[in-house]
Amino acid sequence: MGQPKLIASTRRKPKKRVRLAKSRARPLTVAPQLEPGAPSDLDLMRGIQAGDADALSQLYDRYNGILKALILRVIHNEAEADDLLQEIFMEIWNQAKNFSAQKGKPLGWMVTLARRRAIDGLRKKQAYARAEERLQNETEQQPDAWVHNATEEEIVLSDTRALIRKVISSLPPAQQQAIDFAFFKGMSQREIAAKTNTPLGTVKTRLELGLKKIYDGLKELKDEL
Amino acid sequence: MNFSEFQNQARLYVIGALESEELEEFENARKKFGKKGEDFITKCYALHEAFALSLRPAKASDAIKERLMAMVKAKKEG
Repeated sequence: MGQPKLIASTRRKPKKRVRLAKSRARPLTVAPQLEPGAPSDLDLMRGIQAGDADALSQLYDRYNGILKALILRVIHNEAEADDLLQEIFMEIWNQAKNFSAQKGKPLGWMVTLARRRAIDGLRKKQAYARAEERLQNETEQQPDAWVHNATEEEIVLSDTRALIRKVISSLPPAQQQAIDFAFFKGMSQREIAAKTNTPLGTVKTRLELGLKKIYDGLKELKDEL
Repeated sequence: MNFSEFQNQARLYVIGALESEELEEFENARKKFGKKGEDFITKCYALHEAFALSLRPAKASDAIKERLMAMVKAKKEG
């Protein structure tokens, strides 16, 4: 199977190597900027653990957009994404007791949960074919596909997003594609190898190198990883 | 498996991309590296957060929040 058209389009313009000198890197605000005095994510999670519905409401307002974008990226269906989003926040409510701050941040926990549910949903409905078809149709217009030439306008839209995407877009397209299939489609190395007609060892190397570069890039941006 | 190889595997592990035959080896290494290994795996989960934040937020329909909060209320009362 050939490479998607999207990849080919990215090759027209070689990407500049991203330099993330520490002196130039702005602090990476992982969570959206909070109003002064607003409760932290951890405060809200603790509230949810204590049965405070208002805490869930605030967490929903803060993160529904991010989680929906993630779900949409997996299942490519607006109505299904909305339904799944509701189920995921209900699961957040029901499973909040299992969240531990020692194991990571609330957003990371929610994203992990949302991704798992979205991929499960995709598999249960055996919708790979339909999703692929939609993906093909949407790829050219889809602004959030990783593998594309980001415009300057897009880059200034969000500092956090722009910085993370800068790291991701510094990867060769084949590495981006492998990570995209693994993370957003839940595909195994073998499935990626079959889909891209690439040797299994090459897929593994692409994933390892790509994830390491992203990890290291994020580490440079934010000394938390 | 040395720690550098473990780190590579850990990044694949958190995104669910380890093949079944690699998983067993990884779990053995995980035991071998103990807390140091667990700490690294925890850090790798930040990749999930980063991938989600790399996407442009999508607005959910207003009805979703209403339905959610009604469900929560019903659950609390039930």
